[in-house]
Amino acid sequence: MTRPTTRLEQPEPVLTPIEWSFPAPPVERELLEVLPEQPTGKPPILFVHGLSHGAWCWREHWMPAAAADGWRTYAVSLRGHGASAGREHLDRTLLRHYVHDVLQAITELPEPPVLVGHSMGGLVVQHVLERYAARAGVLVAPASAFHGLGSLGLLLRHRPRQVLRALAGRTLELDRELLFSDDLDEATAQRYVDRLGPEGALVQHQLVLPRRPRPSKAPVLVIGAGDDRMVPVIDVVRTARHYGTRAHVFRGMAHDMMLEPDWKAPLELVLRWLEDTVGRDR
Amino acid sequence: MSEPIDRGTAIAVIGAGSSGLPAAKNLREYGFEVDVLEREDDLGGNWNFGKPNSRVYRSTHMISSKPFTQYPDFPMPDGFPDYPHHAQVLEYFRRYARHFGLHEVIEFGTSVERVEPVPLAGGSGADESPRWDVTVTKDGRTETRRYAGVVVANGHNWFPKTPSYPGQEDFAGEIIHSADYKDPGVLRGRRVLVVGAGNTGCDIAVEGAQHAEHTYHSTRRGYWYNQKYVFGKPADQVSDVFFGLNLPTRFIQWAFEKTVRMTVGDFARHGLKEPDHRMLETHPIVNQTLLYYVGHGEITPVDDIEHFERDRVVLTDGRAVEVDLVVFCTGYLIRFPFLDEDVIGMQDGRPELYRHVFHPVHDNLFVIGLIQPDSGQFKLVHWQTVAVARYLALKDRDPVRAREFREQVRRHVHERSLGGIEMVDSTRHLVEVEHVDYLRALARLINEDLSPRDVLTTAGAAR
Repeated sequence: MTRPTTRLEQPEPVLTPIEWSFPAPPVERELLEVLPEQPTGKPPILFVHGLSHGAWCWREHWMPAAAADGWRTYAVSLRGHGASAGREHLDRTLLRHYVHDVLQAITELPEPPVLVGHSMGGLVVQHVLERYAARAGVLVAPASAFHGLGSLGLLLRHRPRQVLRALAGRTLELDRELLFSDDLDEATAQRYVDRLGPEGALVQHQLVLPRRPRPSKAPVLVIGAGDDRMVPVIDVVRTARHYGTRAHVFRGMAHDMMLEPDWKAPLELVLRWLEDTVGRDR
Repeated sequence: MSEPIDRGTAIAVIGAGSSGLPAAKNLREYGFEVDVLEREDDLGGNWNFGKPNSRVYRSTHMISSKPFTQYPDFPMPDGFPDYPHHAQVLEYFRRYARHFGLHEVIEFGTSVERVEPVPLAGGSGADESPRWDVTVTKDGRTETRRYAGVVVANGHNWFPKTPSYPGQEDFAGEIIHSADYKDPGVLRGRRVLVVGAGNTGCDIAVEGAQHAEHTYHSTRRGYWYNQKYVFGKPADQVSDVFFGLNLPTRFIQWAFEKTVRMTVGDFARHGLKEPDHRMLETHPIVNQTLLYYVGHGEITPVDDIEHFERDRVVLTDGRAVEVDLVVFCTGYLIRFPFLDEDVIGMQDGRPELYRHVFHPVHDNLFVIGLIQPDSGQFKLVHWQTVAVARYLALKDRDPVRAREFREQVRRHVHERSLGGIEMVDSTRHLVEVEHVDYLRALARLINEDLSPRDVLTTAGAAR
């Protein structure tokens, strides 16, 4: 094991009084797993979905494909999403409760995982990486490390009425044009859109607010989609810069990179990077 | 004796309990090689019920609620209750050790017999730290190994502090220390005198109320009995709002005393002594059921013991109680059987350490977990071990800054973290810390004093 030279430069989150006095309410969570036929020495991968999605979005393509490549894959549904409990409390749910959900899922894994987060899940993963030494972090079209004004601007331009509804405390309704490119066939796109669930109103507001996660305890890879209508490419580039790395942008892809017809290309890059970064035994 | 086995730059961690486990995990996270030396055949230390040196009893539960108790980067499962049972705590340690691969570095059945610094070769620089010879017994064989540093995590709640009173040896009944109390079977059908109002004493008095013929509870002074739940939430989660807001201590004391007075009421009416001190000036007692049983007449609060007679115990107020069993819940003393007293620097019953961790003379000898917080222990210990790992890493990265820190350790070794509260004088409070004050101090160590200078200056410039 090599001594990481950067650990001393990372401030540690010692004082978190809000979490002590107002801990996340306990819930039952869905944790999907797809394991390789033969066990390999690679660390597990834990996938974290975005706004209104659920663990199912990883089960479609990325989990089976990564498992076929020898990775143990898991995906958690955040509270109120997918098959996890807590939907009736979504209106009181905060981003830090999602962070708690990911930490809880991590403690169920046999060893420290790689964290892969998409969109809002990418922001949740950034917050988890502040305090937990995952093996690596992969941010897929992540909500910006700084604020959500870029995303708000995009949405205001394309879906002003949806934004107004969201401001009034309703779920931001995502549709196929926001999430997928034209290359995805109608039937499949409709099937995915039908699976989207409600989102917490407070969380939607929190996503716009300024933030600046502390440096990560793990190496970070950032990838983005060239035709993203949820997270502007410039935000992905800035997020990558925040972690001292460069964003990989896939042209012609839309926001839901793991469900797009071209889902293989980004996954191949992710797995190749993981192989180089953590694939070998310590 | 044969030559010591050279373990190079490895660090020895003594004990695989609640302190040794995070020490190993965090040192490894910072890139250090670690050997964890554990006397028992299993991990968990004090929390492994039934092991010879475990001091938990069948009914032991956490005194602090989950968010204060858990390691910050490895929360207790959502399925656990607010106040987990000792078996759940042990299960939690097992998950923690498995998750972080600690079984690779724990050596079970390895008892540390002796730890001593290797004399430095003559004429060495003042900055040089000695290496440490650690003598262990394993499978009946004794061997000595040489380490670059030692982290002592042997616990401080295992060596019973037993009082002695006149006539004690002539007493016809049985006398035990709570260290040997495992379950209420020993109380059944007997008249019991429980001595001491720590959290253990109160627990055992309650078990006496449930199982013994009658229970007397002897305390030296009146105490503030805190509830486990107030306003529908675990009490510590409520009270920490006050600490977190950084309100004046006097105000917090007043507010907490008022809360107890309004919920519990007048202590004297229950036959209890009035507290002779302000709230927060003694280690908190958290017990929701003691007063319930006092109110039901199952527990009789009595005075301090004056002397023993053959079949009764005479109290300081002149009254006498006839009992068959006396349980001393009188706490524990701090012991390091493998370290010379002048090496560890024992003074008035405790070692003199900066922030309860850093040794003023030996900069590669650390003590972990030697604190008695007014809150959960494991979280605080986690940050102690991060501070240790950062100091050792800083020595490599920025030796000048590390030397400055050693100067700070020597100069400020007497500083305590009690949040400005004057604790009642007792061995009970030798290593007491007020958790917010202590965490603030650890945060300052970790994020400022133990950061390389170039990091601090660039961070300052960015600000």
